[in-house]
Amino acid sequence: MIQKVRVQTIVGPDLKGDGILNDIHRMLGIKNITRVSAIKVYRLEGISEKEAKILAEKLLSESINQRYTINSTSEESKPTSEVKSVIIEIAYKPGVMNPEVTSIIKAADDLGIKLPACDSSFEYAFYGSLKKAEVEKIVEKLKLYNSLIEHIVKDEPQTLILKGQPGKIQTIPIRSLNDQELRDLSKDQLFLNLEEMKKIQEYFAAEKRDPTDLELETLAQTWSEHSGHKTFKAELLVDGKKKEPLIDRLKKEALKHDKNIVSAFVDNSGVMDFYGGFGICGKVETHNAPSAIEPYGGAMTGSGGVFRDIAATGKGAKNIASTDIFCFAPIDLPASQLPAGCLPPEYLLKRVVSGVRDYGNRMGIPTNNGSVHFHKDFRARPTVIVGAYGIVPKKYAIKDKPERNDLIICVGGRTGRDGIHGATFSSGEMTADTYTTHSSAVQIGNAIEEKRMFDALLEARDQDLIRLVQDCGGGGFSSAIGEIGETLGVTVDIKNALLKYQGLAPWEIFLSESQERMIVVLDPKNLKVFEMICKKYNVESTVLGKFDGSKKLKVYFGGKVVGHLDMQFLHHGLPKRVLKASRQSSVVSRQIKEPIQPKSEEEWIKVLRKVLSHGNVCSKEPIVRLYDHLVQGTNDLQPYSGKNLDGPNDSPVLRPVLSKQYGMIISHGLNPVFNNIDPYWGSIWAATEALSNFVAVGGDYKNASLINNYIWPFPDQESLWSLDRSVDAVVDFMKIFKIPVISGKDSLSSTYRGADGSVIKIPPTLCISVLGKIEDTRKTVTADLKKVGSTIVLVGEMDKNLGGSVYHQVNNLETDSVPRIDLKLLPKTFDAIYKGIRNGQILSCHDISEGGVISAIFEMCVGGNCGVNIHLGGVTSSHLRGGRMGSSEVSELLFNETTGCFIVEVKDEKVAKQLFKNIPYITLGKTQKAPIIDVKNFFSAEVPNLKKVWQKPMKEMFS
Amino acid sequence: MKPKVLVLKADGTNRDEEMAYAFKIAGGDSKIVHVNQLRDGSVKLKDYQILALPGGFAYGDDIVSGKILAIELTSFFKEELQKFIERKNTAILGVCNGFQVLVRTGLLPFREIGKMRVSLTNNDSGHFECRWIKVKVNNKNNSQFLREMDNEIIWLPIAHGEGKFIADEEILKEIEDQNLVAFRYVDENGNPTMEYPENPNGSLNSIVGITDTTGRILGMMPHPECFVRVEQHPNWRRGNITKPQGLPLFENIVKFVKEAKP
Repeated sequence: MIQKVRVQTIVGPDLKGDGILNDIHRMLGIKNITRVSAIKVYRLEGISEKEAKILAEKLLSESINQRYTINSTSEESKPTSEVKSVIIEIAYKPGVMNPEVTSIIKAADDLGIKLPACDSSFEYAFYGSLKKAEVEKIVEKLKLYNSLIEHIVKDEPQTLILKGQPGKIQTIPIRSLNDQELRDLSKDQLFLNLEEMKKIQEYFAAEKRDPTDLELETLAQTWSEHSGHKTFKAELLVDGKKKEPLIDRLKKEALKHDKNIVSAFVDNSGVMDFYGGFGICGKVETHNAPSAIEPYGGAMTGSGGVFRDIAATGKGAKNIASTDIFCFAPIDLPASQLPAGCLPPEYLLKRVVSGVRDYGNRMGIPTNNGSVHFHKDFRARPTVIVGAYGIVPKKYAIKDKPERNDLIICVGGRTGRDGIHGATFSSGEMTADTYTTHSSAVQIGNAIEEKRMFDALLEARDQDLIRLVQDCGGGGFSSAIGEIGETLGVTVDIKNALLKYQGLAPWEIFLSESQERMIVVLDPKNLKVFEMICKKYNVESTVLGKFDGSKKLKVYFGGKVVGHLDMQFLHHGLPKRVLKASRQSSVVSRQIKEPIQPKSEEEWIKVLRKVLSHGNVCSKEPIVRLYDHLVQGTNDLQPYSGKNLDGPNDSPVLRPVLSKQYGMIISHGLNPVFNNIDPYWGSIWAATEALSNFVAVGGDYKNASLINNYIWPFPDQESLWSLDRSVDAVVDFMKIFKIPVISGKDSLSSTYRGADGSVIKIPPTLCISVLGKIEDTRKTVTADLKKVGSTIVLVGEMDKNLGGSVYHQVNNLETDSVPRIDLKLLPKTFDAIYKGIRNGQILSCHDISEGGVISAIFEMCVGGNCGVNIHLGGVTSSHLRGGRMGSSEVSELLFNETTGCFIVEVKDEKVAKQLFKNIPYITLGKTQKAPIIDVKNFFSAEVPNLKKVWQKPMKEMFS
Repeated sequence: MKPKVLVLKADGTNRDEEMAYAFKIAGGDSKIVHVNQLRDGSVKLKDYQILALPGGFAYGDDIVSGKILAIELTSFFKEELQKFIERKNTAILGVCNGFQVLVRTGLLPFREIGKMRVSLTNNDSGHFECRWIKVKVNNKNNSQFLREMDNEIIWLPIAHGEGKFIADEEILKEIEDQNLVAFRYVDENGNPTMEYPENPNGSLNSIVGITDTTGRILGMMPHPECFVRVEQHPNWRRGNITKPQGLPLFENIVKFVKEAKP
């Protein structure tokens, strides 16, 4: 028997209900709904009504502002004065984990009531003159639920307990299949090509047997693009010329610059040297595929996954920061331009932000760096990039080699059907059907499960119990166990795995990507203490198997063998690809001859307002405020500072050890627009922007390491050509600065294919992230202007090209010359900025990026709550590389996006001369108390007015 | 002897390390203790003088914030807590999620374990919010924890989604009459405010935090433990932030339990 408790908030605003009502009025323009109220519903199974009453009173409701009913019909629970209402209940689908359930069962137990099962959901009462079908339409239109994981409750459930027999083990007669049948088997399930399928066929022919479903799935997972990185490992023929595999080029160059490397390319994150016997590590991942179809769950599991990569570095690192970088279509994209099967950008952005918020905040990991970018071609698939950073004592930074008889233990969450085929799915392209056929690839994260697991693992690490920790990410057990067992071989019995519910087939258990699970390897003598620590933190653990020296992957389900694969074949049987790359389209030069220059003050201000309100430039503060960016108390340079705490900064500076003054700086850079126009210079721009952000707060680039993420369309010849150019750019960048890439990831499936044959390639995007160390966090600066009467200087050499800039975008100009950066000069510029900050002569500093010089100056004025007086009279010589600086080219200077250039505030001209004697710089003018940006002879604009347009877009969306 | 501080942790607690650090630099001997260690008896509340309940999302803040941990405490430690608060040289500090737990156990405001009198509910904005705000000590509250903090505007960070202080009229009056309000959200002139975002959640009477009638139990939404070094303030580089304004609270608490007689 199920007891149904309804709880309604009766004092104070009904935030959920009011929010929905507001959306109905604002977004749908439907006026005949007068009120929406939200009622929380709890179903409690296996207890008496008397017990339900105790729980309702003590646990589920609070008498101060709520009231509850038990087993009433919906009609009774609503206020009598209002009769006309339509009730819609939205609940998780059976089998989708509801994170609240564990807590309810625990608290009931604490109150002395054994509760066998329960669930919670929301009931919405819509008041007004509408029929049920009309209300259901509204619910669909507002996407109040995601049909992948939630449903509208039509019939009362009879039980909440999922039952089932273990699924069957199937054998696939692969040996007898012809080519077409092999293709059919692969399609939509295995995502392997014919050559790979044939290789598998050969293997089993030699073994004289057919594979089980588990074996085939394991191979497909291990050989997927997601896990196998086939493109990065392939031999390349670029325009007919043979080139080394991409990954080899990156590794070779990176390892030349190993001064600070603790571990690179071998672990779940890259580790660099820090102070006090510590290393710091970083990992950045994309989570595009799940986020495209269920943005909330997708963003959550993206965060959860990348945090686990940090926790699974060496013997376990502690997460200390998180970054989030998103690319969407413009919010005002007309619905008619949205491809079939794709979700609107506003919905995606809001839900992704909520997912990051709810996971990161609950984990207690500060989210303090990120950005949002908009481009029309992200309409088919967003790019969601999540990064995590950690600290680890160097003695625990490297995994031990497992020994024979070492135990393989699964800790954390239970295994369910969720996330199955995530790794293979994310390697596939998005189609109009993606939304419906891959629903099991999506799940809801449970941050608390992960948090307590991390707490336990760090304690076990500090007692030196652990040989290694491995994440159960894409591919689940099959990937984690397959990887760690590669050299020795393992025997596991997956019947030991703790399940969320019965009914899973062995292959589902082995492939499940249920979140919040990790694999730990222990010497058997440490098992007891390890289990005690897990118990202390309420973490479940179970022994799955051991290392056996067989060089095989042996998987049992109880007594039954369900998989027996050669490790050699699993890991090295994948045929190496030779891929062709060629430049397909010859680039038509779309240079404009004359710079477009606003002709009057009015025009200047108009275009400036357009630039500042552009999605890529506007203030993201309302998003940052939703993230707990202060937890852990480590943040010595925060995302926003200044007189009104609304001036943005370039990078956070953290003090991961509270009692020590040494710190860590994190930054990133990317520009999908530049990348799309010019893969080489766009990539150089991204890397320069990332490192400039690092330097702008006081970092020494020599103590920085890089992380590279390539988010590319499916690598056809043309996209592979641009990918090759991008990798060349990263290699050249490492060469110039003598610093390494220590971690990275590729996601090469950003192509959309519509049912009508239409193809949309998402802009290729290189995201470079930077982590580095600084001896003293006090020797850093923020971007807010500090004093009245200081001198404002533009440091570095600007390129005259504005192709792809926001200025060109708002003027609807399509040109193909992106800013090129003088890489020879750049190290000198970085050195000068670093020294000027370290010795206290630079009072504030901001790097030039999207929106250009004037936007950087504007943001500094916002922080200082002041203005600047700019005089360009003296700027007549060739300050722009490749161009002349005449009065008609002022717009080319002010909207210039050559990154690697900085706006700095110094005391006076003398200081500038001394600091920047070896590099180009332009004295722009002086700071002034009046909050006005005054560009002599051109325009004068009030900062508060500009601030309003700059803040408006995100304010409207997030408050 | 340094006073012993028990920083209580449960699944999802996350500002425990900062809390322990703040008490440590204020002269306390902090230990982070999981609630399961109290339940299995390996750690005993009676061995401690200060109980600190840090921020975070204990048990995910499921149902409502702090509820599940509050039920656990009142179900298993009613007597121990009663004895603890009866010792006159003890102190309890609950910050953010810890404050939410304290009101749900009934320890605040009237020391009635198991009787909830006030609540902290969803911010009026409807969402989680992380920002620096200004508070002022209610100088009528004579808790020793607040001494010499009442002459200035204090900057502290908040990071919560459920921080709106509510109570029915009668209880609110009682709280005011007995001067149990510890801090209020203020504007730049130091006046209590109901304006967003200075008052970030819509708390009645601009209430930031309250004490019990003895002044030995304090709960508050902002995080003093995140302002114990000058560099933690976003504007320390602008020159007008000269001291960490969260630290005196911890020093006062440590000093109080050191000096007080049992």
